[in-house]
Amino acid sequence: MQATSDKRWFKRLGRSFSQVPLLGWLLGALVAVALEQIGGLSLAWAVGLPKIPVLFGFLMALKKPLLVPSALLYVVLIYVLPIGVIARVSASPLNRLAGKLFSSSLVISVVIHLGLLYATLHVWAGISDYRLLVLKLALIAILLTLSLNVVNGYMGEFSCSHPGFMALGAYGASICTVVLFVDDKLFGSALLPAAIGPFFFPLALILGGLLAAVGALAVAIPSFRTRGDYLAIISLAFMFIVKSMIENLEIVGGPRGLSSQPDWANLPTVFLWTVAGIWIINNFVRSTIGKALNAVRDNEMAADAMTVNTRRTKFIAFCFAAFWAGIAGGLFAHVLRYVNPSTFGIQKLAEVLAMVYFGGLNSVYGSIVGALGISLLGEALRPLEIFKWIIIPLLLILVMIYRPTGLIAFREFDVVKLLQSKQHSEKGV
Amino acid sequence: MCKRLLLVGMLALAATFLFPGVRGAAAVPTIRIGINAPLTGDIPKVGEGTKYAAQMWLEDINAAGGLDVGGKKFKVELIIEDNESKAESAVTVATKLITEDEVLAIIGPQASKQAVPAGEVANNYKTPMISPWSTNPDTTKDRPYVFRGCFLDPFQGPVAANFIKDEFGFKKAAVLYDVASDYPKGLAEFFKKAWEEINGPGSVVAFESFTTKDVDFSSQLTKIIQSGADVLFTPQYYNEVALIVQQAHQLGWDKPIVGSDSWGSAETVKLCGKDCYGLFFSTHYAAAGATGATKEFIDRYNAKYGYVPDDVGALTWDSMRILQQAIQDTGGLSGDVKKDRQAVRDALAKIKNFEGITGKMTFTEDGDPIKCAVIVRISDKGEFEFYKSVCP
Repeated sequence: MQATSDKRWFKRLGRSFSQVPLLGWLLGALVAVALEQIGGLSLAWAVGLPKIPVLFGFLMALKKPLLVPSALLYVVLIYVLPIGVIARVSASPLNRLAGKLFSSSLVISVVIHLGLLYATLHVWAGISDYRLLVLKLALIAILLTLSLNVVNGYMGEFSCSHPGFMALGAYGASICTVVLFVDDKLFGSALLPAAIGPFFFPLALILGGLLAAVGALAVAIPSFRTRGDYLAIISLAFMFIVKSMIENLEIVGGPRGLSSQPDWANLPTVFLWTVAGIWIINNFVRSTIGKALNAVRDNEMAADAMTVNTRRTKFIAFCFAAFWAGIAGGLFAHVLRYVNPSTFGIQKLAEVLAMVYFGGLNSVYGSIVGALGISLLGEALRPLEIFKWIIIPLLLILVMIYRPTGLIAFREFDVVKLLQSKQHSEKGV
Repeated sequence: MCKRLLLVGMLALAATFLFPGVRGAAAVPTIRIGINAPLTGDIPKVGEGTKYAAQMWLEDINAAGGLDVGGKKFKVELIIEDNESKAESAVTVATKLITEDEVLAIIGPQASKQAVPAGEVANNYKTPMISPWSTNPDTTKDRPYVFRGCFLDPFQGPVAANFIKDEFGFKKAAVLYDVASDYPKGLAEFFKKAWEEINGPGSVVAFESFTTKDVDFSSQLTKIIQSGADVLFTPQYYNEVALIVQQAHQLGWDKPIVGSDSWGSAETVKLCGKDCYGLFFSTHYAAAGATGATKEFIDRYNAKYGYVPDDVGALTWDSMRILQQAIQDTGGLSGDVKKDRQAVRDALAKIKNFEGITGKMTFTEDGDPIKCAVIVRISDKGEFEFYKSVCP
């Protein structure tokens, strides 16, 4: 009796929260992080924590298990409770607002949502530089995962060259910025004044991306005569070629790596590039070419018979994915401000592949979830040392057993549906 | 809904009383020191040596009832973090140690691949960092807050070249090195330069390379044998040393093979066996036949962890002790971590003739130590015997 009423209670709670629009969740999150900014430290002290728990209490709780209840309490009081209450209370006015915004202009609606999201992240990361760094690396991981998903998910091939593309992008963008704007011992003094640097930075990133795309062409031309395992091997070989090439290029530092990149990859820059990446890649996979890509994946011959130019489609998708991997590499290099060819090896490949397959194939949501999940988990479980490498692979195995295509696979990322007023859609049903 | 809220609220209140503020406990002043070590990843043995040496140091401090700074006893806490032997993780770990744990100073990372970017972070946050093992000049270059515990390749290259010249009087040398790894490559080049300065251009008759994880060196070794070289210099890590030496002997090479400090691992002799007996290498310290504080350290480490510590352990131990010295030299800590970091850094830069177990050290302007190298001979029992000492 008790159990069934409990269950019903949960269901009712679930239903009442299903009417909260995205705007409500974002507002709740913003209020929560603002609360943390104002009163987080005193609350942390009150519940017995030495500091504000930086990654939802994971790091503290794993080092000192006695702090688990305190950390849990803190997370509930600062995040769960305010977000829940505000989302629920503001649901109906915000639903009206969201509906109005949505019907007046999609662009304004999107900008407001993104603004709220950015503000939330900015305040959250403002608490500590460690959070900021973790957030930046996680956003870059999203970009990288998404770009690999275009090839491995939407195109259905198994490409292993993504670390290579990332390396090309990282080195391309770094060389650009270091040659032009930094007094460096490898390339001599700066050619342009540093003041115009930040404006030039996007250009450098794009250049890095284009370099990666050209590299992709080099893989694509010989390898698209083959499919499946052969492409995997050729792309793996490409990754090693890039790595060895950079190791042997004395001019870019060889195995010692390239350092002293300017510090331009701040949170707004990384955030904007990630959003742009998600937007463009999402449009790409939902366009005609994206659909053609799916057709190629399911049956290349049938697609060919249906007048899809399979060769051209595959070329475009591959170069497109490499371009975004290159952008991610450029951002990565400027966040760390140091690149080393050995960073872009098998280990990186395993990491990205894990993110793609964990999150879900053929899905933008999946890539976001996979990248955020693995990179935050990797950071949060760091105190476990070697056991971390048992827990994360174990999770992957479980996901592969129970959801063989990943957590959120084959789901469309529909901005329109996301931004709509939730009550409206409920009435429609 | 309301009931649930009430419940959570009450729980919160209850918890507030159950866990009274830890702040009250801050009366015991604590010095926190961060250890940024590769506990997992490519080189876990290095991480283990770092961790063990640091923990042994902490035992000493705890046995003395804390660290005595300016007449006040401080409790010391080590915060050991895993950097997975990845550059980006080394950076996040350094950031976390500095901003979250508010450490006074950081020891590590060990490998240059991680020490270069982590050094950038430490320097930006004005936190003293000592990398015990990193040999890349970029780690400390133009970074007043970053120091290192070992000598650099530009010093070790000539040491090896001069030793071979003095010991054997050879004129022609061959070099075999890993082109994809920054340490062997750098050292191979410095050796070549030094050798050619002594014996004239062209005296390095074979300069052969391979790539990390190669296991068959017969083509390079054949070339080296045919080149008529008198000696082979190979600045490789222990796993490759065993393969190179054994394969060279199989191909008929019976002349000396000389190595560098990367040979100084307990694994070298285990893997290489009799083939390595009688060979020489330059390194930071010699375990067999050590005396005084060095012997004491080795015996304690061996008794506690069951193996003779390699150079990483010894260098980490020295780095911890240098840091301790610097903290004590400040003459008292204010409790304001930013001010104290500055004071520790200034004290570190002033350290002169520090008596470490790996030799006497004095820091230069760049934060690199001036110290002696040791030439070690692998004895017929497979131990690392002290042969001679070479000072700058």
